[in-house]
Amino acid sequence: MELKVRKFSSTYIIDVNGEMDLYNSYKLKELVLKMIEKKIDKFIINLENVDYIDSSGIGALIFICSHIKKVNMKLQITNIHGSVKKVIELTKLMGYFPISNNIDQAIAKIEQKPMEAQG
Amino acid sequence: MSQVKLLEVNENSKLFDKTGMFFKEFDSDFRQIRYYTLLVVQKAPTEIKEINLLEQQISEIIKNAVKHGNKCDLKKKVKVWYYFSKDKAHLIVEDEGEGFKDLEGWNEFNKKRIECFLNQNFEEMEKYVSYRTSKSDDHDSGNAMFAAVEYWNGGVVFNNKKNCIAVLKTFPKKKKGIDMEDMQ
Repeated sequence: MELKVRKFSSTYIIDVNGEMDLYNSYKLKELVLKMIEKKIDKFIINLENVDYIDSSGIGALIFICSHIKKVNMKLQITNIHGSVKKVIELTKLMGYFPISNNIDQAIAKIEQKPMEAQG
Repeated sequence: MSQVKLLEVNENSKLFDKTGMFFKEFDSDFRQIRYYTLLVVQKAPTEIKEINLLEQQISEIIKNAVKHGNKCDLKKKVKVWYYFSKDKAHLIVEDEGEGFKDLEGWNEFNKKRIECFLNQNFEEMEKYVSYRTSKSDDHDSGNAMFAAVEYWNGGVVFNNKKNCIAVLKTFPKKKKGIDMEDMQ
């Protein structure tokens, strides 16, 4: 698994490439925690290039999502597909995870003003 | 209202019938879990692999045996019986551990989780996204069996000692009629 970070406006997009499994999923947790230390508060985790996820990968996403919700930061998970989507559905986390279809939609959700969010 | 699926304990379940099943035995080497899984899943027809979903679900069962059952003790073995066809996947995994002591606690926990899901109460669900015991460590995600109990639609059954698990998944037949190769 390879992690690459890019920035759009004030949102940081983490592109995950490869398989999120029991041997490497902790790396994503560590990266996000490091970014939070650097005062980053808007995240997109892009799973476009992830074709395999196991419970450790799901666990990493739960950890990140739970942490970010607690400290009132913003997160969207995008481009889930294939068996990754299946595993998230089986674990019944589709409503729990903040999911967007693509990066554009995720950015729109993250960058929207509070007033628009109410509408 | 969908029924909440449970982990069962029933040593006499037909899912423990090993007749005609293949068998492999593995050391409890944590680093080899995905390799062990590949050795098993390679016997499955492509139609039921669903890309890699079957592999992933089998790896979770093997991981539980290696890590939680045998505590990664290389002297302890994990025994795996398996059978695949175009319409079913059947797996039995036995470890040398103490067994899944808190199975009832898990069922209760999962019941509450499903309730939150059905009520779309995701704030409350926060408490139930990860099942943990006093023996859990930071690497335990605590969600593997949530998906397993849904995926293995033919049942998830333990023996009385709860150190042996049998799971079954059936797949719908996609085509009417019989494939000609089956008649040869």
